[in-house]
Amino acid sequence: MENDDENLILLSQKGKIRAFEKLVNRYKKNAYFIALGLVGNSEDAFDLSQDAFVRVYKSLNKYNGTSKFFPWFYTILTNLCKNHLKKQDVRKKYLSNEIAKEKFSREHESESESERESLKQKLLDEIEKLPYKFKEIIVLKHFRGFSYREISETLGIPVGSVMSRLYYARKKLKENLKHLKG
Amino acid sequence: MNCEDIQKLMMAYLDEEISENEKDLVEKHLAECEKCRAEFDSFTQLKEVTDKVKLADLKEDIWAGYWKGVYKRIERGAGWFFLSIGAIILLALGVFQFFKNLFLDPGVSFIVKIGICFLAFGIIVLLVSIIRERVFAFKKERYREIEK
Repeated sequence: MENDDENLILLSQKGKIRAFEKLVNRYKKNAYFIALGLVGNSEDAFDLSQDAFVRVYKSLNKYNGTSKFFPWFYTILTNLCKNHLKKQDVRKKYLSNEIAKEKFSREHESESESERESLKQKLLDEIEKLPYKFKEIIVLKHFRGFSYREISETLGIPVGSVMSRLYYARKKLKENLKHLKG
Repeated sequence: MNCEDIQKLMMAYLDEEISENEKDLVEKHLAECEKCRAEFDSFTQLKEVTDKVKLADLKEDIWAGYWKGVYKRIERGAGWFFLSIGAIILLALGVFQFFKNLFLDPGVSFIVKIGICFLAFGIIVLLVSIIRERVFAFKKERYREIEK
């Protein structure tokens, strides 16, 4: 209870900066990886995620504790990411250059490396091209491993809509990946 | 259950977020419907590929310094706020003193005083216009909707 989100916000509102630090440390990875999935650039994602926490801090007085922290934070973060994508032509750069390639861990090394890299790159390119609401749900499910309930709470949509959106997002992705094996 | 109902459950099946009861329904439908079975197979293949793609983590020292970065931004924001308030107070005082001296100075002609007044009035109108625009933009700003 002492360290739950709502209590930490309450303490932060009273000026306890250590409480806010705990909150930042709890969600920093989610913030960074969601931003990375959405904007596709590590430096920008890092910057945007930190900026989101600063905005949250400045808006602490608006939080009345009736809803969960993360969905609130998520809205702020994704609005920043959306604005960033609008302002800059980062879409073209999205995970398509050599630097971006280095940002992904290597798994399943036993597979044909070039084939796997090519498929992976194609997949990332296609995720980038998805409509925002599809890209968002793919990022939450595949890059952050959120459960349907967590996605539902974060996006403020029913679990049925989560499944439906995932279906259409994956279908679109599948259609675009013509060269997918099988 | 028709194909449309199964589509959603197919996702839950793939992501292992399905109840035993629903699982039976999906399996029964897939056994009977070739179209849905083919679609399910292709979704399974897609998931195998997407599961292999992971966003790489940052180095531990970068994570260790993350909070410091946030704190510096908060601190800087507060710094800029107080600096702005101070600057506005000093500027207002300076402007007041300037006009006070100007109007009390008999050496400055009436026409120059009038000219300066119009100039100042123009600047004030422009500033008010900009501030009003900013306030209007703030009202429509999306973050205002994030009050919780």
